[in-house]
Amino acid sequence: MASQQDSRISGETEKRAAALRYSRWLQPFVRDYGMLFVLLGLIGLFSILTYTEQHPTGSDAGQQVARQIFQQQGAAARVLIVGRPTEEDVAFTTALADELRQLGATVLSVINGDPAAARGAILELSESGQQPTALAVNDVSSRWSVFAQFPTTRELPSFKPQSYYWPNFLKRSNLMGVANQTAVYAIIAIGMTLVILTGGIDLSVGSLVALASVVSALFLRDYQGGAAAGVSSVIGATLLGIVTCMVVGGFNGVMITMFRLPPFIVTLGVMLMASGLAFRLAAGASIPELPRAYFWLGGGTVSGIPNPILMMVLLYAVAYVLMSRTVFGRYVYAIGSNPEAARLSGVPITPCLIGVYMISGCLAGLGGIVLSSMLQAGDPKFGLMYELEVIASVVVGGTSLAGGRGKVLGTLIGAFIIAVIKNGMNLTNIDPFNQKIVLGAVLLIAVWLDTLKRGRWNTKSIR
Amino acid sequence: MIVAVLWTLVAGCGGTSTPEQATNTPNTPTTRGTIGYSALTLTNPFFQEISANMREAAADAGYELLEVSADSDVKKQADQIDDFIVRGVSAIILNPADSQSIGPAIQKANAAGIPVFTNDIAYAGDAGQVISHIATDNLQGGRLAGEAMLELVGETGGKIAILNFPQVESCQLRVKGFLEIVDAHNTSGRGGRIEIVATLDGGGARDKGHDAARDAVQSNPDLAAIFAINDPSALGAYAALEAAGKHDQIKLIGFDGQTIGKQAIRDGKIYCDPIQFPDQIGKRTIEIVLQYFRGDEVPKEVLIPTKLYRQTDAAADPSLK
Repeated sequence: MASQQDSRISGETEKRAAALRYSRWLQPFVRDYGMLFVLLGLIGLFSILTYTEQHPTGSDAGQQVARQIFQQQGAAARVLIVGRPTEEDVAFTTALADELRQLGATVLSVINGDPAAARGAILELSESGQQPTALAVNDVSSRWSVFAQFPTTRELPSFKPQSYYWPNFLKRSNLMGVANQTAVYAIIAIGMTLVILTGGIDLSVGSLVALASVVSALFLRDYQGGAAAGVSSVIGATLLGIVTCMVVGGFNGVMITMFRLPPFIVTLGVMLMASGLAFRLAAGASIPELPRAYFWLGGGTVSGIPNPILMMVLLYAVAYVLMSRTVFGRYVYAIGSNPEAARLSGVPITPCLIGVYMISGCLAGLGGIVLSSMLQAGDPKFGLMYELEVIASVVVGGTSLAGGRGKVLGTLIGAFIIAVIKNGMNLTNIDPFNQKIVLGAVLLIAVWLDTLKRGRWNTKSIR
Repeated sequence: MIVAVLWTLVAGCGGTSTPEQATNTPNTPTTRGTIGYSALTLTNPFFQEISANMREAAADAGYELLEVSADSDVKKQADQIDDFIVRGVSAIILNPADSQSIGPAIQKANAAGIPVFTNDIAYAGDAGQVISHIATDNLQGGRLAGEAMLELVGETGGKIAILNFPQVESCQLRVKGFLEIVDAHNTSGRGGRIEIVATLDGGGARDKGHDAARDAVQSNPDLAAIFAINDPSALGAYAALEAAGKHDQIKLIGFDGQTIGKQAIRDGKIYCDPIQFPDQIGKRTIEIVLQYFRGDEVPKEVLIPTKLYRQTDAAADPSLK
């Protein structure tokens, strides 16, 4: 009897301990990064929806096709090989031809070109009276209608690599593409997260993207010889663009703290001014006269990973440490949750806020440089509506617009949620108008989920 | 949700190990493939019509057209091209959101071996390769507008204003063609002298066209006519003229021939329009793509001439009934 009761008690304590463990570790994690599950769910969803037939090319596929032809036709095979002039297709046709020759079959002609080149080769073959017995192609060239135009190739058995199934969404090139496309927004969103954590808002980031791209491009074109500029000029131009935006961010901060103007109005005004200035400086046109070195930051890779992705990861790591391990980070949260209490407990509000807006401007400037480097031009039209995109990332990532609550890494997740939805909708061919409706709905659902979740936990903790 | 994720992983692993059975197919696949189209913006009826005609012509030839809207944002368009490459489309058609900055995206498509075609707006850089460009002959259209202007004020002479949209090359060409005719008239010495008193940015849009026309009338009350480079800015200008009570004195020449423009011509608000043929642009674009895949020679540029559309045309136009 007594032992039974003991075991029941110990069972209960165990349960309670488990609950405690849950509440101590998992609950805060779910609260701060619950959106991660949404992101994973979306990745799952789009992987299923984009599960499609894939058509390999390249050298392995080439050898496979060669063996297939040899199996069916033996050494008597006389083969016409057609691919595009891309790197992968050249590997495909070369491997195919090498393997066929090794097996003892005849390669009549290898074409790496467009359909017109294929036409030329086919005409040449029929003029010289050579009749192929097989056409070796990959999926793309097999679809060219040029082969149906000539008797030489119309009835020819064609061979192409075996296809396989894999989600388009999960292709390496697509995942890299999504991360690369998000990088600019995500980088700017770090600064926006800080600003929103203080209870403010920064509407000027989109215009600063344009301003940074124009300032650095103009500097390179007008003072450093344009396309002939060297690496040091490129570094100088990059810094100039970023510092310009940092100064503008500082101006935002000064207006908000010292002149006590609302952040919404200050940054709205600066948004217009910065955009006007960018258009004025660039005379309304894009500036493409830039050196190759300038394209490295946004277009280059380090060990196969695009630079913007690396930069994004690095900046988020720094921001995470800044916000969770430094006094500055604690000040930012303190200002956002209760400015009066923060002031009374000696938080230097004015320098902190100016610093936050300078960081926001600086990161918007960096985003502008990365974007213009990616698109290989400076342009006052860049960055249009980015402020809204970036604010959406921050909010979807679980940061409260009222300030004081949120996590920088949540913003990264938020940016990826939006990017994955956009990319997934493009890959599944959803009508562009519906895409906007879906994105708007996602924003609302994300915020609603967030308030629901917080509401529940808050009442629990009060009890 | 977690189930969904697991499902994917399972499906993903399964995917690599279940290759489709050997493909020894004849030369005619059932579907020829997909063509990606990134429109400048699908909120403009002009691009909607191009898009609809391309969709139809592509379907007739066995292709599926994937339409996306860049909303005039070149970054967005570059991302869309990335997506097209991932999906392995057979060809890409686009209206560059920026004639220069779209270059790197075109280069990527080139590197992936996907032929790129443009229509309406040309790519002006030299880094990427565009197979062919299909567009309205805007220079010829501008000349037609100039000739229409001579009908209005050639005999008497007078002050005119131009509402341009200098950011867009096609609009620059319209103004260039227009000026050729007006300048030739002035140097010929026949009739009265036509004086261009204002060239303002009408933004190609109703609101900016309105403001620009209002200012032009303010500073030149004796204006005789206005040439606006498209219908929305012409209609914006009309609203400003009406508000100033000058809509009888100052004649308007527009450009485009969108339905709203044609209606305004029928109602006498706009004198006439050189009209474009977005349906033909769409059809010709797909023809050129097919020609490319047949291995035929493809022209670098296909220009589709405009036609002058007047009130008498509008009266007989079944689409306005």
